[in-house]
Amino acid sequence: MNKKSVGSMSQRWCDNASKSPDSDAIIHCRAGETPRRWTWGELIRTAKQYSAALTNSGIERGQVCAIIARHNALLYPVYMACVFAGAIPAVLAYPNPRLHPDKFREGLEGMGQRSGLDWILTERALEGVLQPLLGSGRSTIRGLHFPFESSEYVESAGSSGQLGTVHPACESDPLLLQHSSGTTGLQKPVLLSHGAVLEHVIEYGNFLGISPQDKVASWLPLYHDMGLIAALHLPLALGIPTIQIDPFEWVLDPSLLMQAVSANRATIAWLPNFAFSMMADKIREEDMENVALDSWRMVINCSEPVRYDDQEKFFRRFAPYGLKRDALSSCYAMAETTFAVTQTPPGLEPMTLAVDIRSLSKGQASPATGNAVRVCVSSGEPIPGCHIRIVDEECKDLGDQRVGEVLIKTATMFDGYRNYPEKTAAVIRDGWYLSGDNGFKHGKDYFIIGRKKDVVIIAGNNVYPEDVEAVIHGLVGVIPGRVVAFGEEDPEFGSERLSVAAETALADETDRRKLRMEIIKAGMRIDLTITNVYLVPPRFLVKSSAGKPSRSANKERVIRLKDRPNMTMQPAELE
Amino acid sequence: MISDQLKTAILGALKLDDWELTESTIAAEVPGWDSLSHVNVMLAVEKHFGIRFKSVEVLRLTNVGELQRLVNSKLTKQS
Repeated sequence: MNKKSVGSMSQRWCDNASKSPDSDAIIHCRAGETPRRWTWGELIRTAKQYSAALTNSGIERGQVCAIIARHNALLYPVYMACVFAGAIPAVLAYPNPRLHPDKFREGLEGMGQRSGLDWILTERALEGVLQPLLGSGRSTIRGLHFPFESSEYVESAGSSGQLGTVHPACESDPLLLQHSSGTTGLQKPVLLSHGAVLEHVIEYGNFLGISPQDKVASWLPLYHDMGLIAALHLPLALGIPTIQIDPFEWVLDPSLLMQAVSANRATIAWLPNFAFSMMADKIREEDMENVALDSWRMVINCSEPVRYDDQEKFFRRFAPYGLKRDALSSCYAMAETTFAVTQTPPGLEPMTLAVDIRSLSKGQASPATGNAVRVCVSSGEPIPGCHIRIVDEECKDLGDQRVGEVLIKTATMFDGYRNYPEKTAAVIRDGWYLSGDNGFKHGKDYFIIGRKKDVVIIAGNNVYPEDVEAVIHGLVGVIPGRVVAFGEEDPEFGSERLSVAAETALADETDRRKLRMEIIKAGMRIDLTITNVYLVPPRFLVKSSAGKPSRSANKERVIRLKDRPNMTMQPAELE
Repeated sequence: MISDQLKTAILGALKLDDWELTESTIAAEVPGWDSLSHVNVMLAVEKHFGIRFKSVEVLRLTNVGELQRLVNSKLTKQS
């Protein structure tokens, strides 16, 4: 059977602009300022101007353009301009001031070697930090561009007034490059084609019942797949407006999302679980004055395990402002499958199951009978074109309510990590993607309950323990090689917190306090907040069969013993 | 100059025993003071002084000195 052709993303954008040149495409918001409204006509015209400027500046088809910028109204046309020029945009996180410049450059160098980053499109403010990359033998970066300083870039490229042609793309041509989180080169680059992204957002949009009346509201950063695919590509491809809020402003004032939803009558938003908890706890009554949330038809909890208490807290807090219960929704998604794997249907709040915690730990989601209850929240059913298996350690399929690893196969799955065959081989088996997540099926619904991998998810961002351990290993006072990093649930925060257990021979309390602070500061240098530091005696940490300290076993051990006075824990072999 | 009161409120919210805070200190220099904990720090300062910040006021702060001046102006208006 022939697959229906979806065409290219660039053509889709141009078609939308031709059909509705005066309709809103993107509403760019900054707190305290009048929103910058990009109509389709203006957005495409500006993108074409930038496309001409990028081409005149030497950017060629197939080259990767890393985009590193803060919330900026020009970010969207510049991103689209890369696509029009046939280049491949890759939005990367803007460095936090606490991230050491050397670490930032090291991360870009590592990323460049995998992804083949050719150019960096950024702000003048980062020029000094990025310039050393150009002379470095390890770096693949050919040059820096500064397209975000008003129209100066277009003029200096000698293309003022000139509209670039839209590079003809076919479905299999690469559209964009996404990176998993991580700071020191552990990022895994995912290259997605025009066809994969377009087909995915059309299928997903159909499942969500997207209509011309819909509007997306988002504070999500565009370097995250949920921000880029769900909150930018989906609305741009389907021709509905997207309201974009500054992530840095939102985290300081979470009510900005509510005000944007209310002011624009937005209908859909994707949020990581911690945001449900944070908005319920931190938004004040006076910031909700004149706010109405009745337009919201889907508030989709995604990118972290969905926590029942946080969803309920969110609903109770905002129901008085018109939030409908059936607007609560959930989704399971990842960059490797372009985005969504499962989703709850519109108008149906996620199914919940009260299961026995002890049976869950034994791999069976049995109904709760005693006090040890975990309320699991469904992440919905597979979206069309997506197939899921739950398997055991031998890759044998498991039945309903049996817990195992989630394997996925979709029409819009990635082909593999770019230039990373060993990582690709580790996660693809017979055409199935091994998600590394644990879950179970109940009827049509899938429940994601945890991870098989060691990755820590903090507020929707993946943190690799290796990154954290690497910066702590060298600290004076820490026994080399005897550190583990792991995540600990924080119910109040609605997400995980980063914890570190490090072996030390230091006994003096002043020295130990200094070491704890040094460990926290080491985390700050890679822009990570280490919340809990457990200093443990030599030979405390349990080793895995590979001879390295096991993260999962040591996490369990530390948590079990942490309330003992002075952490006077026995070395592992004595317990 | 950063008052002992403000320092107490900030360090208490961050669960830090001690840390030098000057006019030019920015959040990123203080352990635990990241974007996710910022709301907690502001709420702790409000509670400590019995004042209320507007969202835009909080968004425009760039260092601890500016926070001190904002607190001072709120307290002056109250008295």
